[in-house]
Amino acid sequence: MNLDWSIVWQSRGLLLEGALVTILLTALTMAIAVPGGIVLALMRGSRFKPVALFATGFVELFRNLPLLLLVYWAFYVMPVLTDLSLSPFTTGLTALCLNVSAYNSETFRSGINSIRKGQTEAGLAIGMSRAQVFRQIILPQAWRRVLPILASTWVSLFKDTSLVSVIAVGELAHTAMQIRSQSFRVLEMLTAMGAIYWLMGYPQAKLTDWIHRKYGARE
Amino acid sequence: MTAFTRKNADKPPVLVYEDVRKKYGGFTALDGVSLHVNAGEVVCLIGPSGSGKSTLLRCTNALETIDSGTVRFEGKPLPKADADIRKVRQRMGMVFQSFELFPHKTALENVAIGLTTVRKLPAQAAEERARALLAKVGLADKTANYPANLSGGQQQRVAIARALAMEPHVMLFDEPTSALDPETVGEVLNVMRDLAQEGMTMIVVTHEMSFARRVANWVVVFERGRLLEEGPPQQIFEAPTVERTRDFLSHLGWDD
Amino acid sequence: MSKRDRPRVCRLAGPSLIPTTMDFDFSPLIDSWRFLASGLGQTLLLSVAAVVCSFVLGLAVGLGRLYGPFWLRIPLVFYIDSMRAIPVFVVLVWIYFSVPILTGHSFAPFWAALVGITIHVAAYVAEVIRAGIVSIRKGQVQAGLALGMSRPQIIRDILLPQAIVRMLPAFGSIISVTIKDTAIAAVIAVPELMRQAETLAGETYRPIEIFSAVMIVYFVIIFPVTRLIDRFYSRVAHLGRS
Repeated sequence: MNLDWSIVWQSRGLLLEGALVTILLTALTMAIAVPGGIVLALMRGSRFKPVALFATGFVELFRNLPLLLLVYWAFYVMPVLTDLSLSPFTTGLTALCLNVSAYNSETFRSGINSIRKGQTEAGLAIGMSRAQVFRQIILPQAWRRVLPILASTWVSLFKDTSLVSVIAVGELAHTAMQIRSQSFRVLEMLTAMGAIYWLMGYPQAKLTDWIHRKYGARE
Repeated sequence: MTAFTRKNADKPPVLVYEDVRKKYGGFTALDGVSLHVNAGEVVCLIGPSGSGKSTLLRCTNALETIDSGTVRFEGKPLPKADADIRKVRQRMGMVFQSFELFPHKTALENVAIGLTTVRKLPAQAAEERARALLAKVGLADKTANYPANLSGGQQQRVAIARALAMEPHVMLFDEPTSALDPETVGEVLNVMRDLAQEGMTMIVVTHEMSFARRVANWVVVFERGRLLEEGPPQQIFEAPTVERTRDFLSHLGWDD
Repeated sequence: MSKRDRPRVCRLAGPSLIPTTMDFDFSPLIDSWRFLASGLGQTLLLSVAAVVCSFVLGLAVGLGRLYGPFWLRIPLVFYIDSMRAIPVFVVLVWIYFSVPILTGHSFAPFWAALVGITIHVAAYVAEVIRAGIVSIRKGQVQAGLALGMSRPQIIRDILLPQAIVRMLPAFGSIISVTIKDTAIAAVIAVPELMRQAETLAGETYRPIEIFSAVMIVYFVIIFPVTRLIDRFYSRVAHLGRS
């Protein structure tokens, strides 16, 4: 076994680019899936039954599927549905958003449900509208309970972005796998890939722990 | 029975309940309640828990909907549309058993929030009003405190100030002292008594019989969703005409 | 059927596979249901094996982290936190491709997948177990000590039974995550459901029909698991409240 770790250093530009795409993908997905989750959670609570039913179906479906399957499915189905040829990046982003919005909706729903009914009534009793009560009373309180779970979801999402590599989105995993197959430096590149994920993911995991300690589990 | 004239009996009543009925599944919470409240009156609703007095209060500002009957506020039946209901609620202040202050807002912000969001008052003006109201309930020095840093009695006084901020025509109190430590009950009752002396129309669901006896103009006894008896406090507490009223009061140690 | 015996090459989806019109043909599903069913069998086998192995390893790691000696706790914490940072995809690929280089022994894809998923999921199991035990009030331990019980007895007879009930919802989600993770084994050519679907989609040019059908199959497996555990939990929740 002869190892040549110089390949990692030589590929630093590409790997850095891949890592940036990974971060971009994570951030963009979250930026879409947080409002998406709130909207879905509100739809599930809607008094208009078809809306609630649609949201429930959406959430349960995309929460209970392997993400890899969702990625493939989006890859084949989206162009037919939308009649557009979407880039792998957009397709991967869509699959991630469907998945994470479904998760976030559950997070927000339980956060909102954890606020006592009396808080809503107190807001209504001074003449606030339901929308005002939601924005000014419920959401700010639910936020504290939701934030730790969102942080955990963020870390899971960061890891899950590696799965869009199967449809050739140029993020970290795909980049590293490409270099591996071109250079035949399999052990070196795969180890480097793991190490880079670790370097990026470890602080995020620790930050999540901190957020849990600061906000979590306080009644 | 001696003749008793209710306060402002010559003027149209503020609130009229006509044959109000309300069921929760198989449980009948209100079984045909008819009642009226005149301007400036303090009406205390008493009775065993689960007898429907809190439900009636919550139907008054449409936090609960009634199954049949009518609730008239200032001559008009409660509206159905959300926007109209909101206008009515602004004219009724409500104080909850569990305070329900907003924990993410300071005492001052709790009092001001209705003024800024519902009345659309400028922040400056809302703050001034809120400050004055907190002073009125004896909490001028607690404006910056969050609810978590206030005692139960202080929180309930903030809640009263929050309701008063909307300049209500009637105040609804839902067991305002039931969740309080005994030593802070008095400070809340004092604020309520002062309010009554200023002529505020008040409906108070309470287990504080001494308050009902001393402050109320009219006392209504509930049992199983019906009116058992109503009358001036002297009658209810000293010469109840219904046997079961006597039973209820004697359970609470009011058998003179 | 002879088609199935061809060596399967890793196929990356290409634009040529994308149908241009909305006409559906579900006949490949009917023709090749055995092929997909064998994949489903592998998925179920891998899921059950991975769940069992991760729970055994996770319990050991979780208890070791809580009660083990100092020198053991540090590497265990490091292992758990590392698994929280590295994607399961990366773990799988690394084990499948790198371990043979390091040891000189090649690995059947199924075993590589089982080991990779187990190593990853066990870290989460360990965390859930630790958190569950820590959440039991101190008074329970003291009550056990007051009865003259030993530490292992207290862990086994007082803490774990209560903690396990509290952990049930978290275990439910770990099980469903594990089943979902088995799909990732497709990238190292384990012939489970995801992989078979991919192969079939490539051969028949009917990806939409096949992936949609497989979606339903996965949903039908994963959804009840989450629901059943939740239902069971709501029935036994009182046992975990002390």
